[in-house]
Amino acid sequence: MSDQSNKTTYWKSLNELAQNEEYKKFEEREFAENATELTDQVSRRSFLRVMGASIALAGFASCRKPVQKIMPYARQPEDLVLGEPHFYATAMPFQDTVTGLIVENNEGRPTKLEGNEEHPSSGGRTSIYHQAGILSMYDPDRSRSPQRDGESVSKDDFINFASDHFSDRNRSVLFISEGNSSPTYHRLKDQILSEFSGAEWVTYEPFSEDNAIEGTQMAFGSRLRTVNHFDEADLVISLDDDFMSPYGHKNSVENAYKTTQRRKVTSTDDEMSRIYIVENAYTTTGSYADHRMKLKSSEIEAFTFALAGRLAGSVSGLSAFDGVNNDFSNHDWVDRLAEELLDHRGNAIVTAGQDHSPAMHAAVAAINAALDNAGNTVTYHELPYRDDRNEREAFSNAVSEMQAGRFDTVVLVGTNPIFTAPADLGFADALANVDTRIHLAEYIDETSRVCNWHVNRAHFLEAWGDGLSYTGHRSVIQPQILPLFDGLSEVELLATILNGEESSGYDLVQETWEEYLDGDFTRAWEVVLHDGLDENSGFDTASVSISGNLGSEIQDHLNEGPVSGMEINIRPDATLFDGRFANNGWLQELPEPMTKITWDNVALMSPATAESLGLPSERSFRTNNVPTVRISAGGETIEIAAWIQPGHADDSITLTVGYGRDNVGRVADGVGIDTYPLRTSQAMLFQGADVEATGSSYEIACVQDHYSLEGRDMIRTANMDEYRENPEFASFKSFHGFEVPGMKEAERAGTAHQGPVSLFTEQYGPDHEPQWGMAIDLNACFGCGVCTIACQAENNIPVIGKREVGRRRIMHWIRTDRYFEGDQDNPKVYHQPVPCMHCELAPCEQVCPVAATTHSDDGMNQMTYNRCIGTRYCANNCPFKVRRFNFFNYAKEYLTTGDDPEIIQMAMNPDVTVRFRGVIEKCSYCVQRVNKAKIKSRIETGSKKPADGSVKTACQQACPANAITFGDLTDENSEVSQHKMNERNYVMLEEMNVRPRTSYLAKLRNTNSELA
Amino acid sequence: MSKTYEYVPEPALIKGNHDFKSITAMVTDINLRPTPKMWYVLFGLSNILLLVLLVSIGYLIWEGTGIWGLNQPVGWGWAIINFVWWVGIGHAGTLISAILFLFRQDWRTAINRFAEAMTIFAVMCAGIFPAIHVGRIWVIYWVFPLPNQMAMWPNFNSPLLWDVFAVSTYFTVSLLFWYVGLVPDLATVRDRIKSKIGKVLYGTFALGWRGSNRHWWNYEKSYMILAGLATPLVLSVHTIVSFDFAVSIIPGWHTTIFPPYFVAGAVFSGFAMVLTLMIICRKIYGLEDIMTVDHIEKMNLIILVTGNMVGFAYLMEFFIAWYGGVEYEKAIFILRAMGPYAWAYWIMIACNVISPQFFWSKKLRRSVGFTFFISIVVNIGMWFERFVITVTSLSTDFLPSSWGYYSPTFWDVITYIGTFGLFFSSFLLFLRFLPMVAVAELKGVMPQADPHNYDEAGEYVPPKVEIPEPKKETVK
Repeated sequence: MSDQSNKTTYWKSLNELAQNEEYKKFEEREFAENATELTDQVSRRSFLRVMGASIALAGFASCRKPVQKIMPYARQPEDLVLGEPHFYATAMPFQDTVTGLIVENNEGRPTKLEGNEEHPSSGGRTSIYHQAGILSMYDPDRSRSPQRDGESVSKDDFINFASDHFSDRNRSVLFISEGNSSPTYHRLKDQILSEFSGAEWVTYEPFSEDNAIEGTQMAFGSRLRTVNHFDEADLVISLDDDFMSPYGHKNSVENAYKTTQRRKVTSTDDEMSRIYIVENAYTTTGSYADHRMKLKSSEIEAFTFALAGRLAGSVSGLSAFDGVNNDFSNHDWVDRLAEELLDHRGNAIVTAGQDHSPAMHAAVAAINAALDNAGNTVTYHELPYRDDRNEREAFSNAVSEMQAGRFDTVVLVGTNPIFTAPADLGFADALANVDTRIHLAEYIDETSRVCNWHVNRAHFLEAWGDGLSYTGHRSVIQPQILPLFDGLSEVELLATILNGEESSGYDLVQETWEEYLDGDFTRAWEVVLHDGLDENSGFDTASVSISGNLGSEIQDHLNEGPVSGMEINIRPDATLFDGRFANNGWLQELPEPMTKITWDNVALMSPATAESLGLPSERSFRTNNVPTVRISAGGETIEIAAWIQPGHADDSITLTVGYGRDNVGRVADGVGIDTYPLRTSQAMLFQGADVEATGSSYEIACVQDHYSLEGRDMIRTANMDEYRENPEFASFKSFHGFEVPGMKEAERAGTAHQGPVSLFTEQYGPDHEPQWGMAIDLNACFGCGVCTIACQAENNIPVIGKREVGRRRIMHWIRTDRYFEGDQDNPKVYHQPVPCMHCELAPCEQVCPVAATTHSDDGMNQMTYNRCIGTRYCANNCPFKVRRFNFFNYAKEYLTTGDDPEIIQMAMNPDVTVRFRGVIEKCSYCVQRVNKAKIKSRIETGSKKPADGSVKTACQQACPANAITFGDLTDENSEVSQHKMNERNYVMLEEMNVRPRTSYLAKLRNTNSELA
Repeated sequence: MSKTYEYVPEPALIKGNHDFKSITAMVTDINLRPTPKMWYVLFGLSNILLLVLLVSIGYLIWEGTGIWGLNQPVGWGWAIINFVWWVGIGHAGTLISAILFLFRQDWRTAINRFAEAMTIFAVMCAGIFPAIHVGRIWVIYWVFPLPNQMAMWPNFNSPLLWDVFAVSTYFTVSLLFWYVGLVPDLATVRDRIKSKIGKVLYGTFALGWRGSNRHWWNYEKSYMILAGLATPLVLSVHTIVSFDFAVSIIPGWHTTIFPPYFVAGAVFSGFAMVLTLMIICRKIYGLEDIMTVDHIEKMNLIILVTGNMVGFAYLMEFFIAWYGGVEYEKAIFILRAMGPYAWAYWIMIACNVISPQFFWSKKLRRSVGFTFFISIVVNIGMWFERFVITVTSLSTDFLPSSWGYYSPTFWDVITYIGTFGLFFSSFLLFLRFLPMVAVAELKGVMPQADPHNYDEAGEYVPPKVEIPEPKKETVK
């Protein structure tokens, strides 16, 4: 050690240190044990070298500090205060959109993603995919080096190969890419296509908006993106469009934010928009809608045509649908929706699920245009980067050409078609006919394994990039850390192909942006990096008119009948999407919002369908085993667990994709069933199938075993009329009358709306300010679950795996309870996020024998892990069951498995303790954030009360619906105080007199009395 | 109309016309005879079970509480059930030795030593569970109010802390009481044993007892004082154990009836356990003259009474759930009888409420075989009572979203089975090395010890030699 310290005395600069071979060897020798943490590509030396460079870059790119040992900075970066995180703007690409994000960076380690308030597609909010992005980056199962024919090689090997191979510009190269909106990517793409005359470029996404775009081609004669402005619409009619869910729509965050904003009610004078939905499976959007009708997927098109046909009689422009006469022409929903649409001309939205047929999208576009919604609540935009062709057809054609041997090289940019391509295209066979197959991917996945070359891809937090939001706002993707495994980004790969040498993503992106930024480039560039987007961007709105050819083009589709008998639907998965997030433990363990299933996919069906298949129509409370069914379609057969979903359309089964992986990663492998084999290019959404019960069963880990509220009042709800008639409908009095002891006395005292009088008068810290509290607006919550993932990222909550979840030991600090109400065939669904209630008279505190859980002066129920001996008495005595117990050393299992646990450890939030085995943990109201804000406020203003809004809990911050408010209850003007004063405010279990600090605002529905 | 009543003597407590010497021989010869082979077999089997207990505890501490079937709503499972069950069993011993002593129930002397030993071993088995069920056993000493530099005290509001004091006090007093009662008998064995080591060991533990008047005087006083101290403990320990549940706010736990209900249940199960062990031992060791059918009948009467108290408590719980109007409590009781754990509930009712009713029949309660059967049934029933209370309330409490089913794992089961290893190993050692009947006390209740040498008028009457036979009551 003395030897080392002598050396440190003589450091002059980081560069000198980095070039000191002897020192490097010394380091490696002494810490050989841990040297496996980083693969050889990123050695300490190269790290330090680039670190020096990035300091020179004035801190645009942040960098990772050495993880082996804590060393003082020889020269501490000027703006860095150890322990104070930095925040940088970046954006997360998802298909061909990006969402603006802010990254919390702790001394070079990005640890938390949050929405960028300046960015229109985020507005400060995020979805589960964004929140989980951080874990994907620290995934030790990511591919660590390029591979040639399955053998690991160095990056230089690949670059030498690429330089050599692509020097021949006459090669016939096929590029198959995933959706990508990056201007740099499209610039390089255009360059490649112009230089390689025999090159072809197709885009394939298993779930895309291609059909919607083809629909606008049919309706308007041009390929356009549809943007719905839910904040401006009084009426929304969704035809199987799950537009609020991240798996249902790629702009879900903005959609959810704007929809819920339009439905915020603070007094009886406020109005809500009204949402109708016709859908097959029960989705979160369906649960949020005011009226929902279940309909088989294959019938929804006919329903749409019937609606268009009905409207054709009242408005001009829909002549194509004149005379439509099908099963739904006299349906009361068609009557009602037509009437509503005519009443709300110009401020309604009709929207269709993205996987439905182009014809149905054309009908929807035509309805919007004919009713003057187009241009007001619905706008259409040309995508500058999109080819004017049917992209799905182009992909099919490319596959047949591959099969025919037209290409000698195929470059797959980030997509995984071996796993996701329609089964009937024979993609694997076609690919085998190409000599040189290059695949850029984050994992050695199904496609990588059949390619000659696998190139390991850099995560978006590791590489420079750019992209466009759904509405065309241009952002730069700013890396937060050097690539952990030294991968290439997609633009770097394209540049390598083009230039034959490694190019820096930073230069590539800057080169593109020079064209966009006026004036002083450096200055403008810094502004873009700081803000996270280019203010002067956004798609131009196209003016549309219904095409004259619509009638002839749609004629053939008008009489397409539904699937008779049983149909199956194949949908993206709520948590894994198309399978790309399969190795993300947070997402695997996030309960699916409607079924509350973790770690599996199932065949969803209605109770009646289950009965017709001879399955029990209710689940047993006593066992995790559920019956399985055998589903055969198009010559393929799978066996999958059957799950009863009340409210699902009858004679229809919904399957989700992304599971059944093999050899992809430790998290993904062996989870669930692969359903892609059933999906063909002719049946991307639904098809007829043979379904039969197998008689065997399968174990499912579901976190909520009981569906019903049992008539209890945890959820309080009314429709708008009832609310206006009795604004205090959610009060305890309205619910329970005077049956509960203490209510009559409360009535006399005039406090009946607060619940019964109590014998206890004590209050914690009555003179102390601030006092923290939370209010959750059930009228905004639609159950997406992003609060759970945000909390998991913020509070270092471990992933425990299917077996432990199945034993009901899930660790999430905030869960979303889902209840069904009404009859099994057509129930209503309610979601209720439940964090710790922080009761003022907390029952947990009274029973702990060692006083490990106590109350703070500012009204928080605190858990002292160090003191906890783990009797679990507090968890038993918690009426809300929010306390979590470390039955095993979950954190150790989660953070120390594998050869290089240091990687996953870097994802941990340094402000939050990692909990050991045998202690209880629970929601802390993000006490680390609260205290940080208090300290800051004290330093900056001298006040011990942080300003309202300056402290946000992780769940609150992430919520796209703004359902959660948190703040100081001693400040009457704070948002949370305002919510608590609202007449819809209630707490669960008032009669227990535990006085929860977390309260709820009752749910409202804007129902149509004629339909109700 | 005039009635005169004749003095009705109690039936003799000891059958078979024994004198002091034969009683001494009958009991202490068991300790002096060479060890029977069967004892080694049974002790070996018990030791295997004890090993099972040690292994399962070792694995538990190594791996964590997760090896049990506990889950999110059900944070207490078999460990707490077993704790309450074993503590409950222990109650019979203290009740027999202390309360019946103060009430001058002389028949207790035949079984008190035996029952007290059972108490001590049962409390040992019970004490294991609260210790090992915690998540971090290595810091369990934090439940004791040890002065420390942080001035951090335990939470005196917590019923678990009261438990710590209640159970440790109970164990200490029971052990002392048992030992004090043993002293004269240890001296007897010391005097009769041939082996030198035996003489030293028994002599050491006999504390120099010589049977002087002074010794007897001190002995009787200290025994009386300890009985007085132990008596409230009989009521307090299970009352405090019941507070673990009653002080919480969980529906089905939060009930004021719990203290008397738990104490009655404890006596109920304790007497059943004493009967189970006694019926075996009196047969094997030929102690039928001391532990007579009259004893069995008396104990069966207590089982009948306490069984009905428990049954009444079950009914009252339902009544109050309805009468109290708390919907969660109503729901939990309906779910107990008809919900997912209905099987456990009806086992409990069948074993605890229905089976003791057979003891209304004099014939059945004097039947040794039937009593043995019922005594086991009652202990099964009482285990299920604790299961129903602990698990069902947690499994389906306030928020339907958190409802969840609990089932034990392999380790839950074998930890419980392992405690029988500890119990029987200790009990077999007791049978082998200590007089299982309180010989000195027993002699005190023999007719020979109570020569009535004066009549009602105070005149001297020479002592009768023959033992009075029971006479039927005659009414004129």
